[in-house]
Amino acid sequence: MESIRYNDMEFSVEKDGDRWTLTYGLPGGSKAVAGAGLFAGLSESEARTRALALVKTIFPVGVRSVGPDVMHPNMIGDLKIVGPDVAHPNFVYWNKDSVSSPKDL
Amino acid sequence: MEIKGSVALVTGGGNGIGEAVVKYFAGHGAKVAVVDMVQKNIDRVVKDVQEMGGEAVGIQANVTIEADTARFIKGTIEAFGKLNIAVSSAGIIRDGTMLSLDKETGKVSKKLGFDKWQAVIDTNLSGTFLTMRDAAEAMVNGGWPGLLVPISSVNKCGQVGQINYSSAKVADALMPKIIIGEFLMRGIRNIRCVAIAPGYTATPMLTGMNQDALKAILEDVHLGRLVAPEEIASMIGYCVENEALNATTIEITGGLCYPKGIAK
Repeated sequence: MESIRYNDMEFSVEKDGDRWTLTYGLPGGSKAVAGAGLFAGLSESEARTRALALVKTIFPVGVRSVGPDVMHPNMIGDLKIVGPDVAHPNFVYWNKDSVSSPKDL
Repeated sequence: MEIKGSVALVTGGGNGIGEAVVKYFAGHGAKVAVVDMVQKNIDRVVKDVQEMGGEAVGIQANVTIEADTARFIKGTIEAFGKLNIAVSSAGIIRDGTMLSLDKETGKVSKKLGFDKWQAVIDTNLSGTFLTMRDAAEAMVNGGWPGLLVPISSVNKCGQVGQINYSSAKVADALMPKIIIGEFLMRGIRNIRCVAIAPGYTATPMLTGMNQDALKAILEDVHLGRLVAPEEIASMIGYCVENEALNATTIEITGGLCYPKGIAK
């Protein structure tokens, strides 16, 4: 099946029996399995549509708002992430595909 | 409820107990959403499940973020069409005593940082709450039979050096009573809730610790060894299948005792 390009990532949907496997490319050319055993019994076009919807959910595009309470930073390992102040007028919430969004801004 | 054909969601599914639960469910015919903070761990576990012939989807998320919780619930349903089992296995530790004293002056030299308190409460308690709440919402609205599984800990009884962790885990242990009481009050009959309180378990965090300290811990375990993550997973599987188990917290510790033989 033709690959799906979304958010600068390359996804493939491949048939495995009556189900579908969703893979995506990693830096360096290797592939990771995003989902296996998906969309049982669906046709190729249906599986592709469902895969795109799933990809948009599990790999969201946008500014990750950690917080939004800026007084309440989150720790990821030893990294302290202070959330953006979403109430600030300079905060832009970006929810468009990174391929198409520049022309929309 | 049968495991085969069910759809399970496991937070912290990228390693430790969560990974064992993912593989147990997948090996018994469930479809599983692997939720974790670390994408490479998700990729590894999903690939393992695929090689087992199982069905899984990986979703990177932070359980402390409400929007992420909504997203991994949505992703699970988009992938597999329903949700039946939610296991809240994501957890962290940031140990330390509340106060430390200077040996010479006897005055307080250090306090447990609020960041260490907050991070553990966020992940182990708020994260569990969000996962249980949104999973239950999906199960109610979908009309699917369900089981909610908060992961508590035997240290809910109060472990020195873990005021943050123990406080979160005792609250997690209380959740089944409250949730099921509220479900009864609201007429929600399709969802059960059973918390699991593991003892010292052979996760990478424990097996990699100082071996002398580990030996000292094992002296208080009647079983004489760490609990295997697979043993926790099989207990959760039993909870799925035995519908009489509800509104309770089950300890699985191998017989962890206080020194001198009082069972914890």
